[in-house]
Amino acid sequence: MTRRVAICAVAQTTYERSKWYQRMQGMALEVVEQLIQATGLDFEEDTGINQVVTVSDDVFDARTISDGAMTDVVGAHYRTEEKVSQDGAQAVYYALSVILSGHHDVVMIVGHCKESQPTSRNLVTHMAFDPFFTRPVGLDYLAAAGLQAQAYMAKSKVSDKQLADVVVRARKNAAKNPKIADLKQITAQEVLASPIWADPIRELMAYPISDGSVGLILASEERAKKLTDKPVWITGVGNCYDGFFLGDRDLAGNFALKRAAQKAYRMAGINDVKTQVDLFEISDQYAYQLPMWAEGLGLCADNAGGAWLSNGGPDKARVNLSGGVLAGNPMILGGLVRVAEAALQLRGEAGARQVDGAKRAVAQGLTGPAGQLQTVVVLER
Amino acid sequence: MKKNRNVGIIGIGQTRHSSHREDVNQPEMIHEAITLALEDAKMTMDNVDCIVHGNMELFEMIHQPDMWHVISDGAYGKPGLRLTTGGTTGATLVCGADTLVASGLHDVVLAVGFEKLQEGHTTGGITNMADPLWGRELQTGALTGMTADAVIEEFGEKRAKHAAMKMRVIMDKHAMLNPLAHRRFGFTDDMIPTMIDNVPPLVGELRIVHMCSQSDGACAMIFASEEVAKKRCPNPAWVMDHITIHREETFNLFGNVEEMTTMRYAAKKLFERNGITNPRKQIDVFEMYDPSSWWGLDWIREFLLLEGDEHLKMVEDEEIAINGSFPINPSGGVVATNPIGATAMIRVAEAALQIRGMAGEHQVKKDVNLALASGFGGTLWTVLVLLSKNPPKLTEK
Amino acid sequence: MTMTEETNVKQNLIVLRQILEIPQHFSTGPIMGRFLKELRDNKRIMANRCPKCGRFHLPPREVCAICRARSGEFIEVGPEGVIQSYDLVYYASPDPLTGQARQAPYTTVNVLLDGVQGKDTLWHLLNETDPAKIRRGLRVRAVFNEERTGSIFDIKYFDIIDNK
Repeated sequence: MTRRVAICAVAQTTYERSKWYQRMQGMALEVVEQLIQATGLDFEEDTGINQVVTVSDDVFDARTISDGAMTDVVGAHYRTEEKVSQDGAQAVYYALSVILSGHHDVVMIVGHCKESQPTSRNLVTHMAFDPFFTRPVGLDYLAAAGLQAQAYMAKSKVSDKQLADVVVRARKNAAKNPKIADLKQITAQEVLASPIWADPIRELMAYPISDGSVGLILASEERAKKLTDKPVWITGVGNCYDGFFLGDRDLAGNFALKRAAQKAYRMAGINDVKTQVDLFEISDQYAYQLPMWAEGLGLCADNAGGAWLSNGGPDKARVNLSGGVLAGNPMILGGLVRVAEAALQLRGEAGARQVDGAKRAVAQGLTGPAGQLQTVVVLER
Repeated sequence: MKKNRNVGIIGIGQTRHSSHREDVNQPEMIHEAITLALEDAKMTMDNVDCIVHGNMELFEMIHQPDMWHVISDGAYGKPGLRLTTGGTTGATLVCGADTLVASGLHDVVLAVGFEKLQEGHTTGGITNMADPLWGRELQTGALTGMTADAVIEEFGEKRAKHAAMKMRVIMDKHAMLNPLAHRRFGFTDDMIPTMIDNVPPLVGELRIVHMCSQSDGACAMIFASEEVAKKRCPNPAWVMDHITIHREETFNLFGNVEEMTTMRYAAKKLFERNGITNPRKQIDVFEMYDPSSWWGLDWIREFLLLEGDEHLKMVEDEEIAINGSFPINPSGGVVATNPIGATAMIRVAEAALQIRGMAGEHQVKKDVNLALASGFGGTLWTVLVLLSKNPPKLTEK
Repeated sequence: MTMTEETNVKQNLIVLRQILEIPQHFSTGPIMGRFLKELRDNKRIMANRCPKCGRFHLPPREVCAICRARSGEFIEVGPEGVIQSYDLVYYASPDPLTGQARQAPYTTVNVLLDGVQGKDTLWHLLNETDPAKIRRGLRVRAVFNEERTGSIFDIKYFDIIDNK
């Protein structure tokens, strides 16, 4: 890369089951105000924030051009705003390219979503399937995940009990995360007793419906050094699409994630992720995805997810100390929250979750059915 | 413009645009455009590093359609991105592709924008952009007569109505030269008085004939780094600059602007930073996003930073005609063809065709060195893209 | 088959017709919530003001887009005002909230309410569809429903009142 780009500030609302008391605008404004407060930036032409990359989804928001509601609160009145309508880690990729291109030196990313607004999250994701073959079969992202979970658990010898432990661990970690509100601590038995949603995924193995907003300020090296004394450099990024029809894919094969990770690691100069990265923020929308994406990221060998879990792999590699998506982030913001949490760790601002001396982190996000599109970001201090 | 490296457009493909492409589904339709773009660039999918995809999904109600479209857009095993900004989407995809190549992250980026408006209800889909708590039961899609009223108030009913209809006829004459255009009626000047009196109104003085099409169609463009472009293409169109300007939503969506219009603001900034002091002379052709003839007419003044009735004269004297001094929309424009997610990209594609001398029957005869393309959408947002025949000189990074 | 034979074979294309529906819970938040509450409980139309430039926002909004400052106090405006612009809609388009086609013609109107500083108008229906009777500059007054629910349509429509 010709220029270096850093994250200069991170802001999040809390994530709740229902922010009934706020609209999208209110949530995003909280985030924008925190970012402005942290950096002292304004929106002056040429010197302030002139480019905003938003993250939202028209179907979740039930609003065509869902960024149309946000122009004023993100400060984009008579400025540039562009919407990424995929997982927010994609917005980090795009904002990075905006600065690398030279077109802008400072970019603000703001994402929002209220999964509590539609009466059924599954109806929304059901719309992602084609009208001719996959919709009539009744697929939505939950059902697709169920199919993937079956394939993966068989291949990597992961048991229901191990997944229950993943959930318990996620909530224990989330208890140290002030942004995670209203999430009860539970036992493995409670997880295993919760109703089946899409075999083998049980209710408590799925990420809870969540509302919230998250944002970042990215800047070129020159600007970053003036905006913060703790710039977090984005040293690698990679993304990759898998096929669409589930039958075309090796559902447990991590095709897309491996390629995305390899690209990001090559860019960042990582050749042994197990020893060269201090912590990982993985988007585990469902418990089985924690070991599965760990395999794709190279944290353990292929088919060794079950063994990795048994040997305390997640704790040893400092995976999802934030609680992960399992603790409750809107699906479309999952990867962006992972980047935010990783950045907080590298800035030493992770409070009770802090990994001492963390220097390098990997964050991952996914979009689409059964993680069809994967995005990996490498961050360094 | 500060830019890491230059970006050239080396491949362009469009489907034939139509009211009902019932012979293809969405992936098949975009595949047509992508195949044509690859053929134009003399490339295969293997040469493409990244796919940038966009549309306005609430028309077809497919959530995250780029997932399904992997079966036909070549994104399998590759990086990609989805950008969606309403009507400006196509132009945002151009900005995104240009940005990704200029950044150095990718050398060759394929951008594809599309819409299958017959798979949904266009006006209903646009009305859905309104706030559900106050505007959604009042908005009528993109239909408004307020601009017509303003033009009529400023210039008098007779002159205003004639100019808007003349604009419409000129656009149709251009569309008749574009075999891909959706609506090609064969209007002639002597039909103008009858049309003014007899065409049914949609909203106020906005009549059916003034309003843009609702089309099915796709557009694909291939963007390459300077090195790749020069090696592979004898005549790239170079991306010189682009700018996006948004505006807050208010009760009065389509007018009553507090500051200057985003069109004028964007044009001012773009021209200033590219040494354009006389756009009418220095820009050779303009593909303007004209959602209606009234808006098209009004915005000539905004984009060219004119005052008074200069823009009406440009229409009345046919300066905007294909062989006029300042041709606008030699393709026929948005009134002729409007697959919304592709429309703003088609403006850039058509401008690029003009620069490359590849617009066939609707090629302007004069030398085209600098071309301008605009995108429109949202709450009166503007995207402007400036293309040049010669690679731009890069300023200091 | 020869080319001619191929082109003469008719294809039966498969077309699927569906109506898709996802019910929503829209939050009003504190700002719109206050606006709608005042309509319902007090038959008052409230704007909020930018503490920096002083312009009124209607609908009330979280921030002033120009000053990029959080909006300030709520102030009652109207219920009368002046027509700034209007649209006579002849085209019966569907309403995405109900799926039903609207009754046309209808008139939407942008009213600059008495007391508003700045140009923000209120967008609503006008109780008149005869173009000969409508023009900019007419004074209008909001007519409230007897039964109100906390909706923009607690105002039934605007009536044209006699010019002064």
